[in-house]
Amino acid sequence: MAPRVVVIGLASDFGCQVQMTNIEDHLLDVLGLIDLTYWQLASSGHLPAEYDVAIVEGAVTTEAHVEALRRVRETAGAVIAVGACAITGGIPAIASAGELADRYGCVYGEGGAEVACGRIAPMPVTAVIDVDYRVPGCPLDTDEFLRVLSRALQGLSGRIPEEPLCAACKTRENICFHDRGELCLGLVTRTGCGAKCVSLGRACTGCRGIAADANLDAAYALLASRGIPAEEFTRRLSLYNTLEEGCDR
Amino acid sequence: MFFRVMDKARIADLVRGLSTEYEVIGPVAKGERFTFSVIEDPADLRLDFDTTILPPKKFFFPPEERMMRFRVADNEVVDDEAFASPRVLFGLHPCDINALLLMDNVFLGEFEDPYYKAYRDATLLVGVSCSPRETCFCNAWDTDEVHWGFDIFLTDLGDRYFVSVRSVMGAELLDRHVETSPITAEDTAEFQAVVREFKRAFPAKLDTSQLPLLLDAKFDDPVWDELGERCLSCGACSMVCPTCYCFDVRDDLDPDQRSGERKRVWDSCQFSEFSAVAHGQTFRESRASRVKYRYYHKQWGYLSKFERVLCVGCGRCTHACLADISPREVVTALVEGSEAR
Repeated sequence: MAPRVVVIGLASDFGCQVQMTNIEDHLLDVLGLIDLTYWQLASSGHLPAEYDVAIVEGAVTTEAHVEALRRVRETAGAVIAVGACAITGGIPAIASAGELADRYGCVYGEGGAEVACGRIAPMPVTAVIDVDYRVPGCPLDTDEFLRVLSRALQGLSGRIPEEPLCAACKTRENICFHDRGELCLGLVTRTGCGAKCVSLGRACTGCRGIAADANLDAAYALLASRGIPAEEFTRRLSLYNTLEEGCDR
Repeated sequence: MFFRVMDKARIADLVRGLSTEYEVIGPVAKGERFTFSVIEDPADLRLDFDTTILPPKKFFFPPEERMMRFRVADNEVVDDEAFASPRVLFGLHPCDINALLLMDNVFLGEFEDPYYKAYRDATLLVGVSCSPRETCFCNAWDTDEVHWGFDIFLTDLGDRYFVSVRSVMGAELLDRHVETSPITAEDTAEFQAVVREFKRAFPAKLDTSQLPLLLDAKFDDPVWDELGERCLSCGACSMVCPTCYCFDVRDDLDPDQRSGERKRVWDSCQFSEFSAVAHGQTFRESRASRVKYRYYHKQWGYLSKFERVLCVGCGRCTHACLADISPREVVTALVEGSEAR
């Protein structure tokens, strides 16, 4: 029996699910291997009671999300968290810094906090349940997603690169932003994207989270010595990494 | 070896001629830096380059390389051929030629690597003289000179090149594609003067006295902890190093799960995963130990096997390291004591 797969979206812009539809070249190959019983973006049905693999996008922002995730964990044999929102809290997590009630007011006006009842401080899926596989990035990288999905379908262990981006960026022979005195977050950001942004002329924004091997202390120190103050580094990191340890000085 | 002189303006003839038989690769500008790339127009060749972001090793040991394809159903290898088309690598500085000779010890030694060998056999090397930059320290390891390992070497004499021809193939190509003249006593004298000036132009020579012994004596020196605190564990040093040859091997399945490929990708000893083994054990948990073993391998481990250090003083790692860790600094700290830095 083909493994039953569901795709669930929490708080996000569904960009990762859109990326999945962009795997045109291989989508039919993949669909031939699985029984896709629910895809929130592309289907109007309901989440079934039983499934084998759950792909979860988005940040946790309500009490209902927490409950839903606990059920997903009990039901699915394997859970794949995809995208920055699910893995670091991503952009939604910016709201977790400061007073939530004030932020609801900004969006919904007076009485906003009531409209937003049941809301909690945004956090990643990984803060609520253990996940078996992770595909970071904003949005996810389709090649990496396919590799991880393959591993999940084969029952192989999840592997996520632990080192910063600079090495991969060097193999693309990019001119280093820091050589020009510009801040690029690649020096602490988890690799695996192939340094796409830098290769296209944009500095890394840290969407894949802080690499396990990253040396944040050293990064703060060397940037300060190059004239980039800690506040500026923290501000840039906060786009995707508000909740990541060590990014708040 | 024999020698000729060649008018500098003739370089374009040589490149054009070689292009009829080979893919010609050489240094070209990329922003304010240079890369070794395929030469489409001889005017793009920049033999006045300082150094390249990546060394020529990428043409013999690519950053990512397919080793074989396999079928899942019967576990059969379906394609593991190493293929390389003929090419000429133009504009290697002495450090880069020496680096390839050090790589050969690893890839063409006791265990011959068919992929590296295919690329190496298909590639002719044309060296070119250079002037030392502040990050250069090839003179510390005697890799500022190169006596073999190239087909042709061009020494810049201002308006002309003093051409050293090392191989039969080099002689034939020169004969076929470009006009040269016999050397005169004056050419040789000028060549010597250029070499002397080159040697004088280096910054203060790095003192490497008793380095292997000091590495053993200073195994627990605080310098390693200081370096570990600064190191970003980003691995940029390994990527840009012309003599780093470590790689990781990965198997990836195709989306249809029926077949897959095994590839190797450049790895770095500065990553914690580099020393991870089955069952999750990691031998080099601390950054300090990883920085330390990079030096122990290059300046001691390799030396004990091949009688050379695994560094050619090209200075690429010095440029690439955002934390400003350089072999010059590390060696000086060991030889003179850390307070001398």
